[in-house]
Amino acid sequence: MRIHSFSPLALILLMVSGANAQAPSKGASQPAPHRDLSGVWAMQPGGETSADDKQSPGGAIPSMTAWAKARFDLEKPGYGKRAAPGGNDPILQCDPMGFPRILYFPTPFEFAQVSNRVLQIFERDNVVRQIWTDGRALPNDPDPLWYGYSAGKRVDDTTFVVDSTGYDDRTWLGAAGFPHSEAMRVEERYQRVDRDTINFTLKINDPQAYTKTWIALPRVFKLRPRAEIRQGYCVYSEESAFTRRIREPGALKTGTAPKN
Amino acid sequence: MKKLARPLPLLALLLSAGALFAHHGNSAYNETARVPIKGTVTEFVWVNPHSQIYLDVKDSSGKVVNWGIETNSPGILTRAGWTRHALKAGDKVTIIMCPAKNGQPVGYAGSGDPGTKVVFDDGRELLFTDKTK
Repeated sequence: MRIHSFSPLALILLMVSGANAQAPSKGASQPAPHRDLSGVWAMQPGGETSADDKQSPGGAIPSMTAWAKARFDLEKPGYGKRAAPGGNDPILQCDPMGFPRILYFPTPFEFAQVSNRVLQIFERDNVVRQIWTDGRALPNDPDPLWYGYSAGKRVDDTTFVVDSTGYDDRTWLGAAGFPHSEAMRVEERYQRVDRDTINFTLKINDPQAYTKTWIALPRVFKLRPRAEIRQGYCVYSEESAFTRRIREPGALKTGTAPKN
Repeated sequence: MKKLARPLPLLALLLSAGALFAHHGNSAYNETARVPIKGTVTEFVWVNPHSQIYLDVKDSSGKVVNWGIETNSPGILTRAGWTRHALKAGDKVTIIMCPAKNGQPVGYAGSGDPGTKVVFDDGRELLFTDKTK
C-alpha cells in the first residue's frame, strides 16, 4: 500500500478544501430579473465609523449651515455620543421616523410594484412609502410630509432612480440628531446587480442645512425570500416604559462599567 | 485513511471575541465586551422596537439586583427563531451581553452584537442569527 505523507501546509489546505466541499452549496448568484425590485430586502451592515452613523446615511457629513447648527445643538439624542437622559429624539415618543432614517433602521422593507407606483413597505411602523412611476414631476410647493414626496424611473433594466422632496423638518437624519429642512432633495439609486443583491447609493441636497451635497455611504441590500414583513408599530406607552426602565438608566453619567 | 476533522472556522473564533464586528452603534453599552450574567427571568417584554428581558441576578455580596437587557424587535427575534413564549418568568438563564458603560444594571444582547446570546441552565440557547438568510 502506498503511504502518502503531507507537509503541514498541505494538510491545512486539504482540510480547508475538504471543509468547503462539505459545506452546503449556496449556488452561484442568479442574474437580476429585469425592471423588477420585488421582494423583502435587508440592508447589510458595514462601513459605519462612528456612533453618529446609527440610523443615518453615514459617509462624510458636510458642514452644517448656521441654521442647521442651531437646530443640532438643541437636540438631545437618546443614543450615541451625545446621549443623555431626557432625550428629545422624536422617535422616543413614536413620532414618524422619517426618510431616509427609516431606510437605515435595522429591520427590512419590501418592494412591491403596482401599475403606477413602486411601494416600499417598511417593517418599522408598517410605513408604506409611495414612489410614483407614472412620469410625474415633483411638485413645486409640496406639503411637508413625514416621508416626503417621491417619483422614480428606471434608467435601465436593473437600475431604479428615485427623486424626493417635501419633507417634514421635524424628523432627524439619524439617531445623532442631524437636521434637515423641508426643501431637502434626496436622490436614491437602486441597482439590482444579481437576483439577491441591490447596490444602493443616496445623496442629500439641502442648501438650507448643509454647505455641500451629503453623499451617503454606499450600501448593499440582500434579498430575503423567506422573510415576511411584520407589523412593527412603535407604541408610545411601550416606548416610554423602555425609556424609563432601560434607556435612561443607561444614559446616566454615573458609576463604572463592570469588567468581563 | 483517517478522516480529517473539520477545522473550527476562523470566523467563528473572531465572532466569539465580539470586538471586531460590533455595529449596534449605541455608545451607552460597552460593545467590545461580552459579559455573562446568570439569574432568573422576572419578565420578558415582547414589544417594538425593543424587546426586553428582566432578570434577578445575585451580585458578589449576595444582594439580588434586577437587570434589564435590551434586545431586538419581535420581527428580528422571530426571524431568529424566537417566539413571545421563548422566555418566561422563572426561567434560569445566563445572558452573554454588552453591559452599560456607566455600571447601571442594564445591557444589550441582540443581533447588533455577535456573540451575545441567552443560555438556559439545561444548555439550550437562544441566538440572534437571522434564519431567513
